[in-house]
Amino acid sequence: MKKLLVLFSLAASITAMAQPSDYWPDSLRTVELQHVVVRVKEQSPKTNLYKFFTANKAAGTEDILARLPEISLVRRGNFGMEPTIRSFHSGQINLLLDGMKIHGACTDKMDPASIYIEPQNLKSIDVFTNGSGLMNGSSIGGSINMKLAEASCHDDSRFSGRFSSTYHTVSNGFTESLNLNYGAQKWAARLSGTYRKASNYRDGNGNKIGYSQYEKANFSGNFKYILSEYLSASADVLFDEGWNIGYAALPMDVGYAKARIGSLKLHYERPKQMLNKLQLKLYGNEVIHFMDDSQRPNLAIRMDMPGESRTFGALTEAQMQLAHHHSLLLKAEFSLTKLFASMTMYDNKTTPMYMLTWPHNNQAQTALSAEYSWQMDSLTKMQINSRIDYSAFRLTSEMGKDQFAVLGYPEASASFVLPSASVNLSRRFAKNFRAGITYTVNGRMPTASELYGFYLFSRFDGYDYIGAPDLKPETAHQAELSLQWQSKKLKLHTAGFVSNISNYISGKVEPAFQVMTPGANGVKIYRNTGTALMTGVEASVLFQPQPSWTLMTTLRYNEGRFETGDNLPMISPLKNVTSVKKTFENGWISAEAEFAAPQNKVSKPFGEQATGSYKLFHLRAGYQLTVWKKTIDLNGGLENILNEVYREHLDWGNIPRPGRNCYIQLAVSF
Amino acid sequence: MTKLFFVVLATSVTAMVVSCSKGTDNPAPAINYEKIAEGYVVGAGLKASIYSPSATLKTGYNKLYVALADSLSGASVTNASLSFLPMMDMQTMQHSAPVEAFGTADNTGLFSSAVLFTMPSGTMGSWTLRLNVQYSNKAGSFVTPIVINAADPATVKSFVSKADGKKYFIALIEPQKPKVGINDFELAVFQSASMMNFPADSSMTITADPQMPTMGHGSPNNINPVHVGKGHFKGKLNFTMTGLWHVNLKFYQQSAIADTANHFEINF
Repeated sequence: MKKLLVLFSLAASITAMAQPSDYWPDSLRTVELQHVVVRVKEQSPKTNLYKFFTANKAAGTEDILARLPEISLVRRGNFGMEPTIRSFHSGQINLLLDGMKIHGACTDKMDPASIYIEPQNLKSIDVFTNGSGLMNGSSIGGSINMKLAEASCHDDSRFSGRFSSTYHTVSNGFTESLNLNYGAQKWAARLSGTYRKASNYRDGNGNKIGYSQYEKANFSGNFKYILSEYLSASADVLFDEGWNIGYAALPMDVGYAKARIGSLKLHYERPKQMLNKLQLKLYGNEVIHFMDDSQRPNLAIRMDMPGESRTFGALTEAQMQLAHHHSLLLKAEFSLTKLFASMTMYDNKTTPMYMLTWPHNNQAQTALSAEYSWQMDSLTKMQINSRIDYSAFRLTSEMGKDQFAVLGYPEASASFVLPSASVNLSRRFAKNFRAGITYTVNGRMPTASELYGFYLFSRFDGYDYIGAPDLKPETAHQAELSLQWQSKKLKLHTAGFVSNISNYISGKVEPAFQVMTPGANGVKIYRNTGTALMTGVEASVLFQPQPSWTLMTTLRYNEGRFETGDNLPMISPLKNVTSVKKTFENGWISAEAEFAAPQNKVSKPFGEQATGSYKLFHLRAGYQLTVWKKTIDLNGGLENILNEVYREHLDWGNIPRPGRNCYIQLAVSF
Repeated sequence: MTKLFFVVLATSVTAMVVSCSKGTDNPAPAINYEKIAEGYVVGAGLKASIYSPSATLKTGYNKLYVALADSLSGASVTNASLSFLPMMDMQTMQHSAPVEAFGTADNTGLFSSAVLFTMPSGTMGSWTLRLNVQYSNKAGSFVTPIVINAADPATVKSFVSKADGKKYFIALIEPQKPKVGINDFELAVFQSASMMNFPADSSMTITADPQMPTMGHGSPNNINPVHVGKGHFKGKLNFTMTGLWHVNLKFYQQSAIADTANHFEINF
């Protein structure tokens, strides 16, 4: 720990003699979603690869995330899928919205922040693996930052927009979206709205999957004002309302889920100055999530499980070019998260049974982070990231404290100091070949559920989970090697990583405790259970023999083991996605194959089931035409053409994924 | 402005002091309790007032308070010795109930005791409560009819011990105000030695297991009640949620099972 503090201060002091560079970290993946956006920084060559996936404008945020080789989604329903990075679960990664923390309000993780964002609200998704995510938060699995679309200014005041309508046959699902932009010279406003409705989908056998329906509406607005040549101010608001959301793999559904998100930002940018970028952001968000089983038949006892989450935060970021080849990014952030979730059970005969599943609790977090980049010579770059986090958790209600007193924790407060650091070295060894290594020492705080969860039932292993306020943070030593080969026609990238995790947080069976959920297998209490080792590789090939032909293929493999030799649960198996795309003057057509190997390396202590392999084939196409000076996009596709009955390994509850789906989208831009 | 503020402040402080001192002059005792009976202790020259924490008495363990006053001067009397004798008249038979001995008067002049009413008043019979007082070589008593309502859920249980064949009464004293979390748990155990004699019993070893009957689960880390004196047993009960709980009880006498069939219901 002391060592890390030294490293941190070292990183800060080295930067005093630094210089500018347009270095972009190796382990960052960016998905560009809107062609209007031009990034200031030079993109990593492999970034182009991800643009490939976004050709399908009918895709939802989850569809886009699912294509990234680093990301797998934990699926509990047809909606609200939880992203994981390299099989690191949601507690081990950070999922941010434009740098803002949003804590889900569901004790069953049914509401990752990604569900509140529609693709048309998104500018890009940045996926950071390993140490490159340190600027976004202390985590051992990396981070995902979803950037919101911004209003664009125009010298000649201009009104523009896009309307699209999409239909999916498999779920009889509609998506209607509209976005409008008004750009003047000094200011701009962007409004967007999306409505989605899907019924129960059919699997490959043609069976309807009950409780897979959902309905939601999303509204977002961005207002930007140019204060001076270098300074701009902007405000964002986002409202998301979901209702009647089925969770096929869970015993409960979501009656409604509401998110209210707002932020104010001041942005200063002046190239070729020492301080070339400065940003200040204030934000707040509120998530209200109401889980119930009112739609499920024949239950002796009815249950409601509402949850609420509120976060307020501030962050400031400064980008400095200290000297010709030295640059420094500094960030300070503060956030306060208030959480609360309860459960009420009714049996019509006795007093309603009420308890706090997340007793009212506060998490205050303060962090300082620095990223120092040094172009050592024309071939070699170095980047040092460092971060220190202080966070304090406490219970704020008497009832919550009383509940934890039962477990032997009368105060149940916890605080953590977490230093992290990462060093990346990359060097070009030949004209087209570059290699990089990254070493990271980092950690993550226990989650609210791991600290304060009170008999939270997990359908995954059938245990009731109880938190432990005396948990230690998980810490990890991680190494990553990445190799790139890049020519005009061929771009290859491969990365391998090893992560040794200490104080791994996992549920331990507590035989003395009785289950609270009828039919549960037992009670587990979160404990630091020793060390675990996670390893994996990713590879991608982008081949463009001619400008109009593209072949893209990605491969990923992960493994995870406890020190006892038992496999970690929820590890994605080998997966390959291959696409061929041909572009024409007014359109494109693509054929895609997805292949996943069986996963037999399952966790015995968790009673995890093995999953079989699957093969999927998709055909997609797009056509663009201009009518009355308006651009009309027609997109369509046939997904899971062979009607494969399949599930991914991370899917809960043996629920098959959708069978053959035909979608069609009509979009008008004006 | 500032001057005015101080004048107002001084006035209000004075008003508060005056009202406070007025209160301490008044010796009216037992304002926190409900008066359930009042009358002359014939033969002792005293007037007795009996108080209870609630206006209605229920089956189970009832704390009772007595204030005595000289029947002529009305002055408070605190140097007397008292005892209760509750009596259930069932026409064909009569029986009493477990009673706890009075102590000395507290600083408000109140004597306290407790009576475990084992059945409600009704068609089966009716209760009277006799207060016996000895005061400066005089002895007298005051008898009052009282109405005992049935507590629901029940807070008194009885069983015949499988170990010694004797009958025991069990009273639930705490929790009075159950909450989610750790609750004080207190029981009192009395042996039914005869129709008139119910000595406190310390021979039992007790285990308690709170369970939610509708859910089929219990709670962790409960502390079994242990004897703390005069037949009272204290422990801790943990409730993890609101609702109906059954506190299942097992009684042992020198490791032989006395009774395992009883529970108290706690519903909140």
